[in-house]
Amino acid sequence: MGDVHNRSNSNNEKPEWLQQYNLIGKIGEGTYGLVFLAKTKSPANRGKSIAIKKFKQSKDGDGVSPTAIREIMLLREITHENVVKLVNVHINHADMSLYLAFDYAEHDLYEIIRHHRDKGNNMINQYTVKSLLWQLLNGLNYLHSNWIIHRDLKPSNILVMGDGEEHGVVKIADFGLARIYQAPLKALSDNGVVVTIWYRAPELLLGAKHYTSAVDMWAVGCIFAELLTLKPLFQGAEAKSIPNPFQLDQLDKIFKVLGHPTLEKWPTLASLPHWHNDMQHIQGHKYENTGLHSVVPLSPKSAAFDLLSKMLEYDPRKRITAAQALEHDYFRSEPLPGRNALVPSQPGEKVINYPIRPVDTNTDFEGTTSLQPPQPVSSGNAVSGGMPGAHGVNNRSAPRPIPIGMQRMQHQGMAAYNLASQAGMGGGMNPGNIPMPRGVAQPHQQHHLRRKDPPGMGTGYPPQQKSRR
Amino acid sequence: MAANFWTSSHYKQLFDQEEVDVVHPLDKEKGITLEDFKLIKMHMANYIGKLAQQVKVRQRVVATAVAYMRRVYTRKSMSEYDPRLVAPTCLYLASKAEESTVQARLLPFFIKKLYSDDKYRYEIKEILEMEMKILEALNYYLVVFHPYRSLPQFLQDAGINDITMIQLTWGLVNDTYRMDLILIHPPHLIALACIYIASAYREKDTTAWFEELRVDMNVVKNISMEILDFYESHRLITDEKVTAAFNKLKP
Repeated sequence: MGDVHNRSNSNNEKPEWLQQYNLIGKIGEGTYGLVFLAKTKSPANRGKSIAIKKFKQSKDGDGVSPTAIREIMLLREITHENVVKLVNVHINHADMSLYLAFDYAEHDLYEIIRHHRDKGNNMINQYTVKSLLWQLLNGLNYLHSNWIIHRDLKPSNILVMGDGEEHGVVKIADFGLARIYQAPLKALSDNGVVVTIWYRAPELLLGAKHYTSAVDMWAVGCIFAELLTLKPLFQGAEAKSIPNPFQLDQLDKIFKVLGHPTLEKWPTLASLPHWHNDMQHIQGHKYENTGLHSVVPLSPKSAAFDLLSKMLEYDPRKRITAAQALEHDYFRSEPLPGRNALVPSQPGEKVINYPIRPVDTNTDFEGTTSLQPPQPVSSGNAVSGGMPGAHGVNNRSAPRPIPIGMQRMQHQGMAAYNLASQAGMGGGMNPGNIPMPRGVAQPHQQHHLRRKDPPGMGTGYPPQQKSRR
Repeated sequence: MAANFWTSSHYKQLFDQEEVDVVHPLDKEKGITLEDFKLIKMHMANYIGKLAQQVKVRQRVVATAVAYMRRVYTRKSMSEYDPRLVAPTCLYLASKAEESTVQARLLPFFIKKLYSDDKYRYEIKEILEMEMKILEALNYYLVVFHPYRSLPQFLQDAGINDITMIQLTWGLVNDTYRMDLILIHPPHLIALACIYIASAYREKDTTAWFEELRVDMNVVKNISMEILDFYESHRLITDEKVTAAFNKLKP
């Protein structure tokens, strides 16, 4: 184990659960923690790659971060081939840190797109685009049919498995902002502004309070276009000064391509706060509708174009759902989508070797970096030497600052938490706001409810009803 | 699944009554009887409710917190996991899980306001440490389904629109958390049992409606009987009994 680091005595301090992994290094960093790559030591899964997300104890003394709670809560309940698999949760009581262990995915759409863009505008082949999109929709359909909105879909959160049994399989990751929306206790907009702005749906940008799974479909549309063009579809500049979902520049970018939304096409537009508040700003600029067809390399008559424009429908109620999208003609025409999105089934197609994720081998689980400057681990590094199954470590370079599965979203909702705004007990599921008794255990009622009064108590339930399963 | 009870972790880990009614060996050694065990859990459910009123979170958060507390004691002893720390911590954790996060620093303040007894006094640090131990004890399963979800549809479907009867039913559902029912029965059956009792009490004839339902009425009736039993025995509970049970837990 000491082969991973040259740090002294890190071994003895390591909690027991950590002993089951060989740490390889840091692969990501975000506001609430770090992500590590590790390999399983147990004989059954020897050398299996695991991504371990470490949540720091929050500084404001509020225990396990709500982001971690959401992620654990949802991922403990769901299983789907196109959703990242939470394999373990660990707690280090000594420093109050929490670790989530996931099946490791070597690639993500951010890196795949970047690879193609940097290699001289080399387009992603149609089979790969279609397969990635189909699997993304398949995972999303599962989430939505289980009343879960992801709320932060973007290329870096869409993982793709590397070499192995699941090669080229898409995994939706990062559920730190995901919500069950069937019976929320608070308006969904209450816990802060969500979704990285480039992929943010127009209704969110205009301040919708009760948004739906349609926000995820808008993001999928943006990602679809980005897979086709290798650049973000609506690349607005984020106004970061105020925690406000209203992002004028982002809306502007959208309107430039899709034209202004109209009340005719989107009747509920009038009820969105920012449509009113910033009427002159938003509706001030007039754009010639350049049209989606001029920014994506698709014929307006193609099935792909039809699907894309249905995902980028302004009115969330008219926007195509994941279930409908999976049935779209685009997926029924050649090339048909496949399970291994990265390797086309037709022989003769070029297989692209995507780069593997960079790993910083100088950071340990405590997140402390050793004093030696970060060095590329390209040759004869300490890691590959003693690591069983540490294939491919050689090609890794230094990590980009905010890689996979972590995002910088601030928890404005936490800061804005307002005690006075919450209703009292008993109103949780009480839409009519009817005052509810806290209990009915008052003694004077008791004698009416005694068991001695025969069951049925005047209402005449036959004593032995047959079971009606 | 997060929204379908039948595929949820909640459904998969429903207990039998006999599994829930097990006093941990460490507690048994101290003389805790099954009756004491139930009494302490009931008292802690009340505590969670009172604390929730102070920090202003809703009934669903209370319900989830009580379910967590009851689940913890299917696995852990009260000797090692002091109920007076577990109860507020469960409320704290449930407030996060139900997206109504309460600030940890508020808890010691309101605890002190509710109970002058030093045995209830815990620091933020202890609550945060217990939060992690509870997460572990729950095996990281945090989604809990409640009768509240199906109740409004049932009431509407059964044509119950009399406000006092609706209130009675909601009150009955709230009271079911003083028992272990949420660990044992699917929540919609608990909701139906409450409607069954309320119908009987208010002499509202819902027989035909119940007959139309595709549920096992025997289970609904058994739950109703348990609730009625609870109300009957509840009258015999005194503060002295609760105190006596807690005193046995002393080291």
